[in-house]
Amino acid sequence: MSRRTAVQIAVYGIVCLAILLVPTFYDDAFVLNKYSRYLVLGILAIALSLSWGYTGILNLGQATSFGLGSYCMAMGLKLRTVPVHTGSAGLPDFMVWNNVDKLPWFWEPFNSMTFAIFAGIAVPVIFAVLLGWFIFRGRVTGVYVAIITLAVLVVVNLLIIDQQRFTGGFNGITDLAQLEIFGLTFDAYGSSSYYLIAVSLTFSLFFALAITKSKAGLILQAIRDQENRVRYFGYDVATFKMFSFAVSAGIAGLAGMLYTIVMEFASPTFLGVPLSLAIVIWCAVGGRQSLLGAMLGAIVVTGMQGALSESETFLDTWTLIMGFLFVVVVLFLPKGLAGAAEMLLDRIWPSAGNGNGRANKSTSRNTLPRKTEPAE
Amino acid sequence: MTVKRRTFLKGTVAAGAFAATGFPHIWIKDSSLARAAEGEIKVGVLFSLTGTTAIVEESLNKATVMAIEEINDQGGINGMKIVPVIEDPASDPATFAEKARKLVLGDKCVSVFGSYTSASRKAVLPVFEKRNNLYFYPTLYEGRECSKNVIYTGAVPNQQQDEFVPWLVEKFGKRWSLIGSNYIYPKEENNYCKKLLAGLGAEVVNEEYVPLGHSEFSSVINKFQSDKPDVIFSTVVGDSVVALHRQYRADGLDPEKMPMASLTTSENEVAAMGGDAAAGHFTSAPYFMVWDSPENVKFVDAYRKRWGADKVTHFVSEPCYFQVHLFKQAVEKLAPSDITPPNIREAIKGEEMIAPQGKVRIEKKNLHTWLWPKIGVAKSDGQFEILKQSADWLEPVPYKAYENQDCTEEGLKES
Repeated sequence: MSRRTAVQIAVYGIVCLAILLVPTFYDDAFVLNKYSRYLVLGILAIALSLSWGYTGILNLGQATSFGLGSYCMAMGLKLRTVPVHTGSAGLPDFMVWNNVDKLPWFWEPFNSMTFAIFAGIAVPVIFAVLLGWFIFRGRVTGVYVAIITLAVLVVVNLLIIDQQRFTGGFNGITDLAQLEIFGLTFDAYGSSSYYLIAVSLTFSLFFALAITKSKAGLILQAIRDQENRVRYFGYDVATFKMFSFAVSAGIAGLAGMLYTIVMEFASPTFLGVPLSLAIVIWCAVGGRQSLLGAMLGAIVVTGMQGALSESETFLDTWTLIMGFLFVVVVLFLPKGLAGAAEMLLDRIWPSAGNGNGRANKSTSRNTLPRKTEPAE
Repeated sequence: MTVKRRTFLKGTVAAGAFAATGFPHIWIKDSSLARAAEGEIKVGVLFSLTGTTAIVEESLNKATVMAIEEINDQGGINGMKIVPVIEDPASDPATFAEKARKLVLGDKCVSVFGSYTSASRKAVLPVFEKRNNLYFYPTLYEGRECSKNVIYTGAVPNQQQDEFVPWLVEKFGKRWSLIGSNYIYPKEENNYCKKLLAGLGAEVVNEEYVPLGHSEFSSVINKFQSDKPDVIFSTVVGDSVVALHRQYRADGLDPEKMPMASLTTSENEVAAMGGDAAAGHFTSAPYFMVWDSPENVKFVDAYRKRWGADKVTHFVSEPCYFQVHLFKQAVEKLAPSDITPPNIREAIKGEEMIAPQGKVRIEKKNLHTWLWPKIGVAKSDGQFEILKQSADWLEPVPYKAYENQDCTEEGLKES
């Protein structure tokens, strides 16, 4: 067990280190900016892997937390812009356009960047706790969780588009200042932002890993596999689920903030259904029961989308090719790329595979209770 | 010791990146050499080929590509070919931003032609402003923007409304109802419209906004029936236009008595809703497909020959076409080593040409375009009949509704 964990930590560490070393090889603004974007989406996939892969909560509204985080950061940065389009009043340009003459009360605290960064994580977490309270205390499970989270996403999205006086509506919040912390400016095209994101990714990955390795993490996985049995053991299933749901929202909120820095705007499409469903696809492709797999899944899929749609040959067919690949993965690699990698490792090097095969272990975890189920 | 060296290296890399972004002149001078080196001029073409706005944007992509091909067939620009880099931003602002970065930073294009929606223009703007590149934007839009990195070849509110609104008031009456999609473009157009109406002594009986993509207009139409406005001023966009017109007709309202006057209904929308639903309603735009001029006949013929006989040209695809030609005229004036976005901007100021709609000119001050507004009435065959053209071309004034603000070469000035 401990050896397995050690190998896992080593693998995770090597991947993170490799990510951190990228800027020393590529000093190109475009490449760094592009990779930064993929890494942010990787963080987002880690968040979903934690709630879906490890706790069994299929959150189709993961983009809600992502978008809320993104808007918090955008609000903070917007108030720091030199108001080129507005003059000296200091009001964000879109408010002036919508005939708002005073900064709304909930925008006021965002004058402090510290608050904005704090809010970028706290707002999604509080929102998730409230939502989780209703869902999990009400013992809503399975497909209904997916439906509720998706519906909430749509509601929040519509609200943001509709309240354009306060949110910039359909166009989102654009024309932002660059983030400055402790005198360091994070330029979206520089290695500074890349390092910020790579460090956040490492932190999120190991934080999530620590949770899954803790006792609480074990209970979460037990809930995923046999919720009722955990409940009979006397654990408060709803609280554990809310915990996982909220941590996942916090990580997604962090990813949202970083996304605003990389993209230099916040848009209602960041809380769109297409993005939210894409996260599920990334996790499915990468392997939802592996944090690293989900993260790499996001990076590989979005990277491929970028590369395919950029190549002249596939300009007309790239969506088709992506769709075909998804179908193939779901049909033939139900545990995603991470599962496939482990299977391969098992074949080549059986002893090591037995030692650190996460897929093996979770399979046995999955199948054991099922085997005994009829006996109960 | 090694650790120190590594931190030092990282620091230098970071500092280098800062220096590069901090002094755009150095940055651009460096890459400009690569730009003109092989006798090719790289430009980006950024219109969605997939996703929700793909139908319209595909026609913009086609008009742009056709113009580039025309120029290359005639020998290019001073012997250099224009090489278009076509990207598909998939109707998604984030993808727009990513692709714009690829075109500007990765491909080192000297200019990019792109965008239909304001949201996508706003999403790509940061990279053009920070890298001092040039974006050619063909769509009519709400004005109130003064970027020195965008060439705006579509109409702004004053160009579409200055002739249109007084004409409608005189012809139909002074009770107006305003209906629009709920975002910034309709609100800004209506702000300006209300200003004009106030000057004409007309009144607004109702002003309403529906969500984007809205398709259920029965309550809106009930309101029309009870208010009985003389004119319905519509800035509804996209699929909603189709739904609004169809329901208007299904409920038996009469365009003779209560016409809809639109700034956004083009041949494209009419084709989608069917000519019968559109017939009798008015549109103001600088270009209609039926406009009778030798340049337009040539444009429409070439377009149909290149892309199919059933294709329509409209008031966004026409600017797509002429803006590439204006780009050509500007670049022609430059030596190969001087072909950089800032130089192209300076060269295109005041540049003129006979476009399909008439003679157009890029205004030096605000990089918007002098255009020829026309008023058309839709007919059941899917085309418009042009009732009136303005006597003279109209100056673009992106801040017309805001007297204390003016867009100048130095940026936005407030008095």
